[in-house]
Amino acid sequence: MGEYGLLVGKADIRSAGPIAFGPEGILFLADNAAARIVAAQVNDPGPQADQEPFDVEQVDLSVASYLGCDPDDVAIRDLAVHPTSQNVYLSVQRGYGDEGRAVLVRVNRLDASVADVSLDGVPMAETALADAPAEDDERLDVTLPMDDEGEELQVGERTIRILRRPIRTSTITDMAYVDGHLLVAGLSNEEFSSKLRRIPFPFTDQVAHNNLEIFHVSHGKWETAAPIRAFVPYEGGRSILASYTCTPVVHFPLADLVPGTKTVGRTVAELGPVNQPLDMVSFERDDEEYLLVANSAHGLVKIACRDIDRQAALTQPKEPVGVPRELEDLRGIVRLGNLNGGHVLALQVGDGGRYHLRSLKTASL
Amino acid sequence: MLHVSWSTVRGTRCMRLEGVPSGAAVRVMTAATRDAVGLPAMAGTLVADSGDICFVGRYGFVDGTTYLVEVDGTVAAVLERPRVERERTTEVESIRPTAREVPRNLLRFYVLFSAPMSEGFSAQHVRLVDDAGDPIEEALLSLEHELWDADRSRLTVLLDPARIKRGLVTHSSIGYPLRSAEPFTVVVDEAFLDARGVPLHGSARRRYGVGGDERRRVDPEQWTMTLPSAGTLDPLIVGFDRPLDAGLLARCLRVVRPGDGTVDGDMEIGVEERSWRLAPKQEWEPGRYELLVDGILEDVAGNSVRRVFERELGAPDTADVPAAHDARLTFTLA
Repeated sequence: MGEYGLLVGKADIRSAGPIAFGPEGILFLADNAAARIVAAQVNDPGPQADQEPFDVEQVDLSVASYLGCDPDDVAIRDLAVHPTSQNVYLSVQRGYGDEGRAVLVRVNRLDASVADVSLDGVPMAETALADAPAEDDERLDVTLPMDDEGEELQVGERTIRILRRPIRTSTITDMAYVDGHLLVAGLSNEEFSSKLRRIPFPFTDQVAHNNLEIFHVSHGKWETAAPIRAFVPYEGGRSILASYTCTPVVHFPLADLVPGTKTVGRTVAELGPVNQPLDMVSFERDDEEYLLVANSAHGLVKIACRDIDRQAALTQPKEPVGVPRELEDLRGIVRLGNLNGGHVLALQVGDGGRYHLRSLKTASL
Repeated sequence: MLHVSWSTVRGTRCMRLEGVPSGAAVRVMTAATRDAVGLPAMAGTLVADSGDICFVGRYGFVDGTTYLVEVDGTVAAVLERPRVERERTTEVESIRPTAREVPRNLLRFYVLFSAPMSEGFSAQHVRLVDDAGDPIEEALLSLEHELWDADRSRLTVLLDPARIKRGLVTHSSIGYPLRSAEPFTVVVDEAFLDARGVPLHGSARRRYGVGGDERRRVDPEQWTMTLPSAGTLDPLIVGFDRPLDAGLLARCLRVVRPGDGTVDGDMEIGVEERSWRLAPKQEWEPGRYELLVDGILEDVAGNSVRRVFERELGAPDTADVPAAHDARLTFTLA
């Protein structure tokens, strides 16, 4: 995997976060507790899959049984589908606190069996999130903690007190690979901003990631920033539809983004009150591209990409709002992925609180 | 006679199986999933040790979980991993801001714990209540990914920005989470588990009054500076025109002496996050200094040096600060 700068090593993932496939079966794993992203070759063993659906009832029970815990001790944080075998990868946190373990689980497409995926002795690379200050950063002295926490460090003739584990962190909420770059959305635990990082892959030593801040306008009157919770590239990566924690769904063309300049996206929809975007996916049907938005309060929201282009920026708050959309009778969906051309894969919470993998036929969506 | 017990093998916790017939098939299941069909056995390895067979779980065993040991397809033993009773020692050290009154459009607060905590519990155990003790519903942003510092001892809690931002459906339909002149209390209840899985030593509360909206950009030109005399160790004191964000204040301000780098010293955030002071390690030299302000520094409502939280288009007083995002205040000590 020299082409991608991967070296055989071991990735100890401290916390299970978002995952996304990149080129040639390389999986990106966000490790929020360690403020880094790992790229690992998962050596998927599966054969080329066909266009059939794939459904697994109570997948969380299988994972719990395999990991030796009660189902309530399993949190499925994300899913990703291997592009050729269609094996399903789950980013799982088992237990909590000191007993918490981050485990990458593979659900076999052929027989729905589950197994953990070793990240020891596989080709891998990692990149630290730029927010963590470097030890020789001249501004380390302003990472002074409140009170007397931290430790003293001698830098030249100066003694400074630093926090080795910075209190400022970034929590990655979504990732996607587009054309040599990993796009990463996240929330800071301090400042309120809508940064989208564009990290070149293969990872380089450059600490400064390409940070893009995309503002959006609420109803033609108020221009604001907010963290991007979920996003999806479409039109072959030329466009991004991003969904913000304050619920607007915003379009911006990726090519137009220039670091250091201000970008204002076009608000094309709102998800409505007391709702949070959870995940997004794009799919094609009859040569048309569509987007699905999973959210915490309603069924899946479907948006035709052609409607996004037609949609003028929203100017009045009202509900339903924005581009034409359909509230599908598909509730409880928390994660989405592309299974194959004919199906979108959804992780759905059922009535009893159990999680199921469901294939949604694109022809019926 | 088969006997199964908790034990260790080569320093790792295991189930020790004594009296297992040679060649028997052994697998471990969890009791909670025993009635489901076709579930996988617990991942782990069987190790021969002193004539016994030891099962070592690949990810360890979880306290409070009941396990079934199957030998040749029959449940041969039921074993519960005991939940260790530990003393409640972790507590809430503080809730910030420390101001007695916050603006109606308050964006975030911090909860500082005395030890690392478990993730995944903040939605159940942190809430806002009014003076009657009733919860203020849907006030806090519900996040799957909680916002912790690296060692999980400081939690950042956001009020739902969709309710604060003007023009959004959520804001226009249900309005601000807070109401001016209606005090509220942040409550962290004791069931919040620390990293060991132990509840807090006690619950914590902080009550706030609620003022009007704060929509102005943070403007360092409005700050006051109390200058020390050269040749002393007296602190430089910077006073703000409003409370600023406690988390960002700890790292957004520094003093430099042109040509001589950053002034080394102890920083302290003042009462109600309304001031900041720097006591130098070495006596102040006479001459010119600069207070550098990182442009991301915010007040408690999310307005920063660079921009207001929400900019009203066409209103000149809310324009962003262009290009150079950071601010710089100069002063001279004699």
